[in-house]
Amino acid sequence: MTAARSLFSTVRGAPGATLAAFLILALFLYAFLVPLFTADPFRLAGMSIMDSFTPPAWMEGGNAAFPLGADDQGRNIITAMAYGLRTSIIVGVSAVLIGLVLGGALGLLAGFVGGRTDAVIMRIADVQLAYPALLLAMVIDGIATAVVGRERSATLAIAIVIFAIGIAFWVQFARTIRSSVLVERDQDYVAAAQITGRSKLAIVLRHILPNVMAPVLVIATINLGIAIITEATLSFLGIGIPLTHPSLGALIRNGNAFLQSGEWWISTWPCLLLATLVIGVNVLGDHLRDHFNPKLRGRS
Amino acid sequence: MMGEPLLAVRNLSITLTRNGEHLPVLNDVSFEVAPGEVLGVVGESGAGKSVAGAAVIDLLVPPLHRTAGEISLRGDRLDLMKPRQMRHVRGKRVGFIFQDPMTSLNPVLSIGKQLTDTMRAHLKLGRAELNRRALNWVERVGLPNPERILKAAPHELSGGQRQRIVIALALCAEPEIVIADEPTTALDVSVQAQMLDLMRTLHKETGTAMVLITHDLGVVAKMADRVAVFYAGRVVETATAAALFAAPRHPYTAGLIGATPALDAQGNMQVVAIPGAMPGVGALPPGCAFHPRCPRAQADCQVIVPPLAPLEEGYAACLYPLPARSAQ
Amino acid sequence: MILHFVERVLQTIVVLLVISFVAFMLISTLGDPLGVLLPPDATIAERNALIARLHLDQPLLQRFWSFISGILQGDFGLSYRTQQDVGAMIAERLPATVELALVSLLFTIILAIPAGILCGVKPKALVSRAIMLVSIAGITLPNFVIGILLIAVFSVHLGWFPSFGRGGTVDLGGWTTGLLTVSGWQAVILPALTLASFQMTFVIRMLRTQLMEVGHSEHIRFARARGLSETRVWFVYAIRNALLPTVTMLGLQLGNIIAFSVVTESVFAWPGLGSLFLQSVQAADIPVIAIYLIFVGAVYMLINLAVELSYPLIDPRLKRRSA
Repeated sequence: MTAARSLFSTVRGAPGATLAAFLILALFLYAFLVPLFTADPFRLAGMSIMDSFTPPAWMEGGNAAFPLGADDQGRNIITAMAYGLRTSIIVGVSAVLIGLVLGGALGLLAGFVGGRTDAVIMRIADVQLAYPALLLAMVIDGIATAVVGRERSATLAIAIVIFAIGIAFWVQFARTIRSSVLVERDQDYVAAAQITGRSKLAIVLRHILPNVMAPVLVIATINLGIAIITEATLSFLGIGIPLTHPSLGALIRNGNAFLQSGEWWISTWPCLLLATLVIGVNVLGDHLRDHFNPKLRGRS
Repeated sequence: MMGEPLLAVRNLSITLTRNGEHLPVLNDVSFEVAPGEVLGVVGESGAGKSVAGAAVIDLLVPPLHRTAGEISLRGDRLDLMKPRQMRHVRGKRVGFIFQDPMTSLNPVLSIGKQLTDTMRAHLKLGRAELNRRALNWVERVGLPNPERILKAAPHELSGGQRQRIVIALALCAEPEIVIADEPTTALDVSVQAQMLDLMRTLHKETGTAMVLITHDLGVVAKMADRVAVFYAGRVVETATAAALFAAPRHPYTAGLIGATPALDAQGNMQVVAIPGAMPGVGALPPGCAFHPRCPRAQADCQVIVPPLAPLEEGYAACLYPLPARSAQ
Repeated sequence: MILHFVERVLQTIVVLLVISFVAFMLISTLGDPLGVLLPPDATIAERNALIARLHLDQPLLQRFWSFISGILQGDFGLSYRTQQDVGAMIAERLPATVELALVSLLFTIILAIPAGILCGVKPKALVSRAIMLVSIAGITLPNFVIGILLIAVFSVHLGWFPSFGRGGTVDLGGWTTGLLTVSGWQAVILPALTLASFQMTFVIRMLRTQLMEVGHSEHIRFARARGLSETRVWFVYAIRNALLPTVTMLGLQLGNIIAFSVVTESVFAWPGLGSLFLQSVQAADIPVIAIYLIFVGAVYMLINLAVELSYPLIDPRLKRRSA
């Protein structure tokens, strides 16, 4: 059975993972489809301030047009969350991709060139382990602020956050790919294929890819959860993504101010949505990890 | 038949559950041990001897399950006991010696602590007395510098020294019978003989009965009063050691004895291995499990599973057993 | 063995130097110290004095050396945001964070270790499954969400604990403690719980895994074969084996705990190092950020070193091999 098919049958046999997968799919659709049919509530000038602080529909003062309520600027929470979720997902996935690309490149470099380069890269990797993603991201944000100032466009802010978080992830990817390179580099077929004129790099790449797919996928999923949480935390602290193009974290930050005065729904729904997203990603990651773990494969 | 046996195992069956299948590991196994006797349980790896030993004190871990059989210790039914009652049997009435001294001892506790703990669990003694006894046991198993040993951690001792401690641990609560599961297999050859001597000395001194599980016929020849031969989850022969070696009744036993390296009259090493291999769990052939390898197999051996039947001396599970001692 | 020890110490020192260099480069390339630290009407003399104080007139490597020796003597530079001595700012905030960390550690020990042991010894019990389910929340929920939740329930709804500040503090001549007043304890409970949530989840899961593994080991089997009671087998024999890797891993997670203290202090307006770091990031106060970088790196490296070198002492099995 190909890896994909065996994965599918495992998912079918594991209801938790299937549920998580469907959940994530539903969230994706919500995040990317709703913005296609609604106006961006964070761009429109002249929002309906009249609707501000509308509680959820089932509460007194609620309005069926605002099932989950409205925030301090009269925005429909459901719409706001969709846009927020979209940003959260995009940032999370992009950060992981940056880590993957950076880590892959450095891993290849370290594995292929070896020697001093390898030693230096690996040492840097070891040192970086001392710093959790959140801390690194904060430092980079601080540096960015020193360079471009605190007032920045939403796009720039998003780019900085993606980069700041992604840079924390390269280590694990690099290590995995480097190990694979070290294994394949000295195999006989590499020398054999070189005779036919193909470059060593191309040959090794071709043979590494299938081997690293599984662990890379597992690492990527786990880091996706971390990325989403880290971005939410940064935005909540006010040094992430601004409210003009918010993520779920920014929405929670906005709503937190009103928690004490009783308008709980402005931050609670985004909190729940965030938690759901992260749980889904983590459960899926757990199942992937167990599925690809050769030690556990024997059991069923 | 003997008088009242100390330990009687009757019709013991144990299955292994794997992937939803239930595979027999032990099939209708019966054997007895008289008070103060040494029963050698011998057979190849995988024949089920260790499982039988562990089953006596209910030390089986799923996926192994006991599905049938009675286990009686001086008439007390061990198989019917609740875990609480079993705890009082383990160590106090039945001692157990594990095979690998490198993993049997807790690495972070001192030898002395492990000894006194064991005794304290079963004997009502004060601290001073416990320490004195622990010291005494260390001496009895032949280790010098007992005070130092008591304070030491297991990793400070060699394999042979550790196994001596394991023996001490098995005996310190003064059990009526000791089950030794391959006690010398993991040791250096040079140390094995010493260990067996120690065990025999202790056996004589304490009068404790012993079930000595081993794949090595030489050990059995040296130590056992009676022998039970296991093959593919069944007992295929039981007899006194003398009778067994002089005239084995089951062809497998004969093959085992023949396969044991021995010097012939000219001092040359003679080894005749039994062709083929013992069937694994779940791969038993129909009829007698040994028939594919048996030089004496007949047509009905492929169909009938021979029961463990009484013969002139001892028992054998064979339709066409070898001739008895008296007939030679 | 001694050789190995020396080698590792040297390696750690080299790494710390590299981290310090990175921090130093940040300080020397980013921001404008003179523009920030001098009042607009500063005289030439004052300007030159500052230049001398910050060693700005010296070549790079010499400045790095001044930087390092300064740190070793406790001079951490000047903050761009407050113009104060960074060392003084840290000293002022240190007690708050240290006490928060200690109380959270207390929570972890009192709550998580028994819970982890329970889950490891009786994994199938209803209580254990419930604990494991809740522990998923600890891992997946962002730290600030847990904080907000605790505030919503215990502060806003029940009114048992305050949602911000340290409560009443007592000055012990340099160390302000909040642990000597009732209101101080009330104030530290919720933030400490929030900070502990990550540690507790981790400890419970690790202990459970370790205990389940140890439970299958041969020496535990032998202990059972000797008729030792289940209680004794677990508590004396198994737990000691399981606790060791758990504690060491927790030590290595210290970086994460420090990171989460930033979030917790922010949520609860706790005046500690974490909120200092946040303010510094918001204001691009590079000197403070750089010192924090060195601090976190040093803590991690030193703990790493301590764990590595003390392992043979704690786990007797390794002593022989490395000797």
